[in-house]
Formats: sequence, C-alpha cells, structure tokens
Amino acid sequence: MSSITYLEAIRLAQQRALAEDPRVFIYGQDIGGFGGAFKATKNLAKEFPGRVLDSPISEDAMVGLAIGAAIEGMRPIVEMQFADFSTCGFNQIVNQAATLHYRTGTPCPLVLRLPSGGTPGSGPFHSQSMEAIYAHYPGLIVMTPATVEDAYTMLLEAVALDDPVIFCEHKFLYYHLKADKFPAEALPFGKARITLPGRDATVVAYGAMVHEAVAAAGELASDGYEIEVVDLRTVRPIDTDTILASVARTGRLLVVGEAWPWGGVAAEVITRVAAEGFGLLDAPPQRLNAKETPVPYHPALWGTHRPTASSVAHSLRQLLEL
Amino acid sequence: MARRAYRTMLEARLLEEKLAALYRSGKIVGGVFLGRGQEALSAALGVHLRRGDVYAPLIRDQAGRLAFGDTILDTLRTYLGSALGPMRGRDGNIHRGRPSEGYHAMISHLGAMVSTVCGSLMAKRFRGETGAVGATCIGEGGTSTGSFHEGMNMAAVEKLPLVVVVANNQFSYSTPNDRQFACADLMARAAGYGVTGRRAVGNDLADCLGVIGDAVTAARAGDGPQLVVADLLRLVGHGEHDDASYIPAALKKSPLGRDCLEIALETLLDKGWITADEAAAWRVEVEREVEETSSKVLREPAPDPSEEDWNAFAALGRNGEALR
Amino acid sequence: MFPSPDSKNLLPIIMPQLGESIAEATIVRAAFAVGDRVEADTDLLEVETNKAVMGVTAPCGGLLRELTATIGESYAVGSTLGYLEISDEDAERLGLHDAPPTPVEKPKRKKSSGNDHSGQAGKTVAPTVSGLPVPAHAGGASFLSPRMKARMAELGLHAADLAGVAGSGAGGRVTIDDLERFLQDLERNTISPASSMRVAVADAMRRSWTRPLATVVLPVQLDTLLAHRKRQAVKAGPALYALRALSFALSEMPTTAGRLIGDRVIHPRSIDIGFAVEAEDGVLVPVIRHADQFPLVDLVERYNRLVELARARRLPGSDTGGSIATITNYGVFGLTMATPIPLPEQSLLLGMGAGRITPAWDPEKKAFVPVTEAQFTLSFDHRVLDGGAAGRLLQRVAGLLGSPEEL
Repeated sequence: MSSITYLEAIRLAQQRALAEDPRVFIYGQDIGGFGGAFKATKNLAKEFPGRVLDSPISEDAMVGLAIGAAIEGMRPIVEMQFADFSTCGFNQIVNQAATLHYRTGTPCPLVLRLPSGGTPGSGPFHSQSMEAIYAHYPGLIVMTPATVEDAYTMLLEAVALDDPVIFCEHKFLYYHLKADKFPAEALPFGKARITLPGRDATVVAYGAMVHEAVAAAGELASDGYEIEVVDLRTVRPIDTDTILASVARTGRLLVVGEAWPWGGVAAEVITRVAAEGFGLLDAPPQRLNAKETPVPYHPALWGTHRPTASSVAHSLRQLLEL
Repeated sequence: MARRAYRTMLEARLLEEKLAALYRSGKIVGGVFLGRGQEALSAALGVHLRRGDVYAPLIRDQAGRLAFGDTILDTLRTYLGSALGPMRGRDGNIHRGRPSEGYHAMISHLGAMVSTVCGSLMAKRFRGETGAVGATCIGEGGTSTGSFHEGMNMAAVEKLPLVVVVANNQFSYSTPNDRQFACADLMARAAGYGVTGRRAVGNDLADCLGVIGDAVTAARAGDGPQLVVADLLRLVGHGEHDDASYIPAALKKSPLGRDCLEIALETLLDKGWITADEAAAWRVEVEREVEETSSKVLREPAPDPSEEDWNAFAALGRNGEALR
Repeated sequence: MFPSPDSKNLLPIIMPQLGESIAEATIVRAAFAVGDRVEADTDLLEVETNKAVMGVTAPCGGLLRELTATIGESYAVGSTLGYLEISDEDAERLGLHDAPPTPVEKPKRKKSSGNDHSGQAGKTVAPTVSGLPVPAHAGGASFLSPRMKARMAELGLHAADLAGVAGSGAGGRVTIDDLERFLQDLERNTISPASSMRVAVADAMRRSWTRPLATVVLPVQLDTLLAHRKRQAVKAGPALYALRALSFALSEMPTTAGRLIGDRVIHPRSIDIGFAVEAEDGVLVPVIRHADQFPLVDLVERYNRLVELARARRLPGSDTGGSIATITNYGVFGLTMATPIPLPEQSLLLGMGAGRITPAWDPEKKAFVPVTEAQFTLSFDHRVLDGGAAGRLLQRVAGLLGSPEEL
C-alpha cells in the first residue's frame, strides 16, 4: 500500500467531508478543475460537481461568503492560497466570523484552510505563520496539525465544530511527511500529544517545528539527555494541562515556534507555565522563534531565519546547563 | 404596500425621535445613528422582502428593519442595553439582528455585509431553494470600500439574486461626494460589475417602491444582482453627536432636502390610500406604542457581568470549560 | 578642550580598588590644584569608601594637568579622575602609549551621596563598560529555582539544610536533581525523627544566625562574689548574680539591648532578662521581668521555681518570651569559654564559663596569688553594637559583680 502524504491526507479529509455531509462545500482560488495550487482539492470538483468552486481573488468576500453560508447552516471550507493572503480577509475573519456567535448566538461553523509556514525560496509573502494573530481573537479555533494523521482527523474535526476554525496546514510538510495509514481513533480535540516522552527537559512545539524538535531530541540523546517533545496540535485552545504535567516531569521548558517571538504562541505557553506552574520550573523557561525580520527569500538566509533541529538542540543545551 | 411602507416610515421616524431624546437624556450609552430623511428608501426595500429572504440592513435602515419584521421592542431593548434584547448587551444600536432568521447583524466595517448576504444566498442555492432574494443597503461612502467591490463582483460572478440599494445621501459623515468617488454617476459602477443598475428618487416613496419593486422582481427571476442608486439627503447628523453643519443650507432647502415622510403622506392622500384622520390616528398610535415600550424597557435589567459566561466559543472543553 | 593624547604624555588618574568588594568612593579632598607639580607616590586625592578614608596616589611625578572629578561626588572603581602630564621616560616605563589611547570620557557619576537618604535600595554603581549597572556585590548567577523553593517548602527545608549539597547547576546552584539525589542518599543512613523542641531550637538558631554575631570575652574574678554568697542565708546562684548585674548595666545603657530593624533602633520596653535552662533535648528560657527593680534576695525563690518549671517543661507562657537579653551559664558543663548564639529576637547573650582557681598577679604583693576566675562572654548582634560598646557593657557587669552587696 502506498503511503499517504500530509497533503493527500488533507485531500482525503475534504473528500470524506464532502461525501458525508451535504452541508460542506469548498471555496477558493484555483481549487476547481485545477485542483488547487497545492493540489489539495485534486479531482474533488469532478467528484462533487457544484460544491468545489473557483472564487475570484477576493479574500474578504470569500470569507464573507463563507460566513453568510454558515449563518444559513452550511459548513464551508475556504482555501486561502497562502496563509499570507488571509490578511486581505482579516476583517471578515476577526470582526465577523469570530464575533458572530458571541454577539448573536448564531454559530459560524466555517473552516479556513491556511497553507502556512516556510519553504526554501518562498520569501516574505508565501511563508508566514499566522496562528498567533488569529489565536489572539476570542471566538476563533486555531489548529496546527504536525502529522499526517492529525492533518486528516483534525480537518474532519474542524468541519464538525460549530466555531470558525483557522486550519494552519504546513506547506513544508505537504510532501515531506508520509504515513502508512490513518488512525482508527483520533486524539480528542484540544489535547496535545507527547510525541516523545522524556525526563530532562520539555520542548513544546507545533506544526513543522515538532519535527525539528524531535530531531534535536535525537541529537541530545547521544549525549545521554532524554528530551520530552510536546506537540500542541491546537494553538487555540492550548492544552495547558498536558504542558504543565510535562514540566512537572522535567522541570525545564523550551518552546519553539516558527513565527516571530513577540506575543506569539511561545510567549503564551510560557506565560501560562510561569503563572500556573511556577513551582514546577527548575530553570527560567526559554523560547526559540524566527529572527525578527520578514521571512527572507534566499534559502541560505531562510535556513537560519527560523528554528532548525540544530538551533533547537543548541537552545536545549543552554537550557540544560542553567 | 404603500400604506404598509408609510406606516413603517412613521414608526421609524417616531421611534428614532424617541431614541434621540433618550440619548440626549443620558439613557442611551454609545452611538445613536438615525435615518431621518431616508425612511422612504429603506421602507421601500423592506416591504418588498418576505420570509425566507436575507436582509442585511445598515445604519439608516430603521424603517426597512421594521418592515422586515424587527420590532420597536427589540430596537429599544438593544439601544437601552436590556438583558432581554436579542443582543443581550453584547452589541448595541444598529449592530442588532437575528441571523438565523435571515436578518443579518451588521458589523461596523462598511461593505462587509455584501458578501455575507451572498454567502447566505449561496447556501440556499446549494439546498435547491429558489425564489429567495438577498438585500442590503449601503451609503455612497461604503461603496468606496474594497469589501463592497469584492462583494459586488462575487455576487455578479456567482449570479446571485442580490439587491443592493445605495443611499447616496451626498455626505459620508462630513465627506462630500467629490471626495468619495470620481465617476460622474454611481450607477456607472453597475456596468463595471456586470450587474443591472437602476435609479430611484430617494425621498419619493412611490418612486422607490416602483424601482425597488422592479429590482427585487428581477432578482427573484434570476436576472442576477441589481444595483439601485438613490439620491437623497440625510436630515440629521451622522450621529446624534454630530450637527451636520457641513451640509450646505442650499442643499437642505432643495427638493432633495424635502422630508420623505411629507412626500409620502402627500402621495397617499392624493391617491386616496389613506385619509388625513387615519394618518393622524396612526401617528397617535405609534407615539403611544413607542412611549409605552420605552417606559417598559427602561425598567428592564441590564446584563449582569457576574452572570455572563464570558465565552466566545460555541464549543466547550473536555470538562465543559471555556476554550483558551 | 581635551588635550590630544598623542601630543603629550597624559596619564589618567584612575580610581583604585580600595579594598575587596569596594565598587566606588567619594572624593573628599584634592591635595593639589591643577597646574601643581607633584612627586611620585604622593596622595593626589583623598577619597572615602564605606570603610575608611584613603588616598589616590600618583604613580610617578608630573604636572597635574586636569582634575575631572568633583569634590563630594562618587566615582566607580576604574573611573578616570584627572590627568597627570608625565615625562617621556615615565611614559615609557609605565607603557602609557602601548595600549590604544584611553578614550577621554567624562567620569561616570553616581547621584550625590551627601543628602541621599534612600538607603541601600537606591544605590547602583555606574559601569565602566557600557551595559546595565551591576550591583556591587554581584556574585555568580546563582539562584534557588521556583521548583527548588516549592520542594523545600513541601519538605520543611531551609537553605541551611542544603549546606552539605554541592550544586551542579550554573554558578554552582543546587538544582532539583541535586536535591532529590541528596535526599535519596540520606535514606541510606539511619534516620530518627527530631523532637519538636529540637526543630524549634533549630529554627530559632537558624534565624538568629542570619545576623552578623560576634563575641567578646572578659575574665572576671569571683572571689568577692563567692564570699558574699557564703554569708547569705538564702543563696543565689552565680547566674542570678550575673542577671542582676546585667539588669543594672542595661538600665544604664538600654540601647545596647536594642534591636536594629532597617534603619531604626528599637528600644527595650522594660529590663526583662531571660536565663537559659537545659530541658530534655533543648533549652528553655524563663524570664525575670523588671529584673532591675528587685534586689537579689527577692529573686532567689522566683528564680529557683522557674528553673524547676523549665526543667519539668511546665513553664507557663507568661514566664517566657519577651526578654531583652539572656544569661547562659555554660560553666555548669565545665566549659571555660563558649560563643553561644543570642536568641533571634535579642541582641545580647551573656555567657558565664566555669570558675577555676588560677594564678593572678597581685601588684601589691608582687606575687602570683590564687584567685577564682571565670571567663564571661558577651555574644551580640554586631549590627547593634560594636566591640567597644560590648566591652564596656561587659566591664560594667564585671564591675557590678565585684560589689555584690549592691545587687
């Protein structure tokens, strides 16, 4: 049996959603006959005529349309071609989708798929990680699947949830990550996963950074350190309990994120641990994020702009020596 | 239909006078934005809509809202922040609505509601429902926004039964039209979008009813989006905090500045659709209803912060806790 | 108007390190004026540190070209205070032009210390390199982590309990791993529970020790006292004599028994003096209230009763606590000298060693004569008293013990 890529998992999840729920439709640029810029909707327009539609280049109206459809009980999936372009629809996302349920009691069950994160050569406008910006707004659920299995089960979950979901799928993982099969049962919504159990320090990560953290843990294993890696899976809600339990085991915390440090996911995790688990920390908590510049184009620059396995390993070593 | 329209115009006018009074006596907190002078245009759209349609009224649409089914009670409850109102104090004034009944609750960012109405129409199309129409109003200033542009374009591409009424009241807050757009006539935009454009005399109820009626009929028939542009004048400040001193006196005295309520009454009397006595009786009835309702609502409780669940999510955590 | 360093031999006058842990000093006086010729090894400036007034010396002869420091201002160690114009040979000898020219900088100045009442908290030292100010006593980056503190609180441990733990963390800090390993290792020993008395005394001593304590010693001849005692029908013990003597001395100089809290001296309210009694696994301290107001003979019975009650651990609350000084007679254990620790809420502990017959020089007889002598110690909180005051208090007590009929 050929293995399933992360991208294929997303495609299959959408296929299943379309098949099982007549309320689901997909709206996005180039997703119809073309199958999407990343082929995430390949063949779906043919298989589900009239439900996988090409939209004009109008991120604001795409989200507005999804909101209106959701008000009427549909379960729209909107594909943004790149997370970076979601800012063109920012107003609709944060001011209408996020507030609808709170203001009116009518839920807004839409899913916004954001191809996120960097790949070599993508540059500043095709590389961004937007999860912290959206997680900041109450009313939005933000998912950041790091595995093929999670990409599948969490997208289905996103469709089923009554709240608007910002689904940050990682472009770098699209074809780099493969799995043999899907799990029979998914981890419950909002629960983080202990990807690697450990003893000496905890690394909390999400998205592509989970894999960098695992690789860093491998490096440190040869020096006798057992590093625990926690995959957040969702950035809103954050599974604070699992993180605190991990820090209770290890006493040391490093949070890794591909986005910038200021007010980001790492800052949020560390704040919670400092406030709610102060007595668990044997060393000051640390974070590792992208350098504070727009994402650079040149692969050599990009290679050091965001955390990598070796920079994570380096930060871990510093943390362990504190 | 003209009688019903006039009745809602009267209700809107008298209700808004009450809102202004409540604002000036400190009973309403926040913004009060009235539609005085625009009732005919708004009512004309509202009376042509029916259950199953989708309506996203904007700031000056008190009349249209009442015609679509909103009530004096809900209006006062929202403005006065009653815990019993549809918004439960979580939003106020013209941001109210009942989306699940097709009555969208606008957000402040102008133009955003156009695509939202489109989405609701798409949903109906997906479900095979025919005959429904979606409608929204917007000022000429709102048509400058990217949201408006994207929404109109999308409605046209999807060929949706959308009716957009542009109330060109010559000023966006204090900004005159020559600082808002450069095309000679806003109607020209219709061609740009590939939709049908229609012109109405904004303060003339009979004309509005005719033009908008045609537009709604055409939309229901599947002719695609309809853009109705109506010229009129706002007879009040942008908000009750504003005195509209930027509107030139000459304009106020011109035919454009004539009160649509007067014109409507003239038309109805002229056509024999109402008698003067009846009109006077209506006024008294409405005044009483407004007065009684506002007294009642003033005694209703405000939302209690300690009773609020302070949760913006529909979903809950594993143990029923709010998501964070 | 700074002279170019290249054209002349300008030697910067640098604030020296005038003692370990000194980080700054205040200019008190300039011994010379600009334009004066000075000789090598003369003091150019007088500066005051928090310990002493010292001199800043010219390393060689020269002309005092510039004084950039101001009288009354404080400057960090290493700051430039002025310039000495020196000869080529001296410049050569001192390697003046070897290193890159010293940047001509304005000396870093601290806020004027003259009228500064802000106390320790307001004082920082300006750095000699750019960056954040560093507290003058900064050691390594050593800390007790929140986890350590939480675990220690859970187990009832204090920093004193960890004295035997070598830390493996940065700066030698004790990590949670170090602690857990230490505790596990302890389990290999026989462990018995400490009595609540033991724990209470441990806590009191630990708290007392957080202060700088010192002890002074004075040999006291007891012959007169012993003779007096022999003549009494009701006999007071030596400790009671000492208690009365101390009460007199303290009534004369009560602030020696005061406490220092922050920048305030708290005066004693009444001359209540305690005395240590050994009681099963610990020490109790009954108190004679208003000890200055009762003659010795009136105190004997009360004293004896208190001793009994203490030994039986039946001392009422009203008879303990609230004393301003304590007597301890470690001589009963045969000890000649000791440095006992004052109670944590007190500044003074008068100790009495065992009396011994020892030769003393009698200047009249021009011979050594046998006397009964005991070492008396006064242990004290050095924040409240210095050696001189402690000595004077002890001398007064000794003097009073020489006139026992007045006690």
